[in-house]
Amino acid sequence: MLVTAVEARPLRSLVDVRIELGAGIVSLIGPNGAGKTNFLEALYFALTGRSFRTSDRRDLIPFGGSLARVEAVVCDADGVERRLLASVSRAEGRRHLLDGSPADPATLARNRPPVVVFSPDRLALVKGPPAERRAHLDRFVAARWPSRSELRRRYGQALAQRNALVAQLAGGLGAATELDVWDAALAEAAAALAEARAAAVEELSAPFAEAAGELGLEGRAAIEYVPRAAGSAAEILVGLTERRDADLRLGRTSWGPHLDELKIASAGRSLRRYGSQGQQRAALLALLFAERDALLEARRAPPLLLLDDVMSELDPERRERLVERLDGAGQVLITTTTEESVPGRAKRSVVRMPIAVPHAAAA
Amino acid sequence: MSAEGPAPLARLVAELSRLPGIGQRTAQRLAFHLLRAPDEEAAALAAAIRDVKEKVGLCEQCFNLSEGPLCRICADTSRDRATICVAEEPADVIAIERTHEYRGLYHVLGGALSPIDGVDAEDLKIAELLRRVEGGEVREVVLATNPTTTGEATALQIAELLRGKAAVTRLASGLPVGADLEHADEVTLGKALAGRRSLD
Repeated sequence: MLVTAVEARPLRSLVDVRIELGAGIVSLIGPNGAGKTNFLEALYFALTGRSFRTSDRRDLIPFGGSLARVEAVVCDADGVERRLLASVSRAEGRRHLLDGSPADPATLARNRPPVVVFSPDRLALVKGPPAERRAHLDRFVAARWPSRSELRRRYGQALAQRNALVAQLAGGLGAATELDVWDAALAEAAAALAEARAAAVEELSAPFAEAAGELGLEGRAAIEYVPRAAGSAAEILVGLTERRDADLRLGRTSWGPHLDELKIASAGRSLRRYGSQGQQRAALLALLFAERDALLEARRAPPLLLLDDVMSELDPERRERLVERLDGAGQVLITTTTEESVPGRAKRSVVRMPIAVPHAAAA
Repeated sequence: MSAEGPAPLARLVAELSRLPGIGQRTAQRLAFHLLRAPDEEAAALAAAIRDVKEKVGLCEQCFNLSEGPLCRICADTSRDRATICVAEEPADVIAIERTHEYRGLYHVLGGALSPIDGVDAEDLKIAELLRRVEGGEVREVVLATNPTTTGEATALQIAELLRGKAAVTRLASGLPVGADLEHADEVTLGKALAGRRSLD
């Protein structure tokens, strides 16, 4: 699936902008403040109905305005065009439409490519708390094996129920045997989730190491799944039973996949704690590339990659290799401030920003 | 007279807007409709509401909705008394009855285990189910709780309690009949694949 055009009318600094996009790598070139990141955000908003920079969509409304509105044209493999429109208004809240009609999230998701963003805001994935990495890994699981997409939710529900019961029991209400059924439910959900995460990391580890090497992450870089509870449902049930007394003292579930870690390391040292900004950037990029490779390998639709300012910290040789890696499958938007940092083969499709004339088409 | 009109009208709008799925606007439209309707039509609605509250109770045996001490299904001697289908709510019984496939009796739990909502086994009619099964004639218990976290846990709990007392079965989950495979969601399709059966 290809995004062939994006119209922002308006979003943040983009007042009336229409940009047509080609397949493969598209380079967005322009000085700071030209609206490049806003454009990536606009595209992301049109496809997903969300922003990757803010949780309050009203931030997308231009200063002094009352509405933000973006439309994207998506073309599938058969050449069928569909229009996704996302808007947020101070008066009427948000809307997300497919060909002019409201649609449920699953339908919307089926009619657009998956989107992956690299931007400085996303470094939290490497240096933030483990919860972000778990959520990210679970999203990859859902993209890679759609039939497993409900495992995270199922575990979360079972955990919330067990925690509620543990808290009641800790407060002296009820009998501990009431936990039996929730331990069994939790163990089953935990085993399935841990197995899916392990399978995901297994697929990602080789392409991650390779991409990390290309991006110049020195020392052998590796991702490693560090499960808190692994094994069959029966084994996890034993573990939960052993920890029951401790859980009842704490008033919550102290063991299970909700405490898993996805360790990202270089030369054996955790990049979360010891990585420099540059290493963390490279690790994030390598993880996103590894996911793209794994999806391509599994013949699933490759994600649309939105790469904000990745070239600036790479030397010319690495830029060349990055472009080489991305060329040939899926659609990739790369922003950069200088013409020189764009390798030759990424210049086939160039958009120069800011867009001076409304409706100016560039490709 | 306030901005909402005469007080009885405002009260009717307020009561109607408490119904599920009825907003302020719809409540107002319904209230004006009733105001304009013939007296007997409005009175019939009022009587129906009073009747449902006064006359409909729970069956003493299965806790399905019932007009007398025993519901229509429990009182029907032609039904198979060796099979009990366990459902969460009376509405689930209606759904299963519509299939005309099931000839056994029911047992309505009145919900599902959910510690978050403070629902434990004592809030459900589980002890009553055990007594019915221990009564002797029951050979099979079909667990028809919802395929949700709470419904599955409830099924698990009941299966455990009934172990050795009766055969326990669970409704299968899978594809909707008559629908195209390509439109099935991945989770349902995955479950259907996992639960595939031989055609030998």
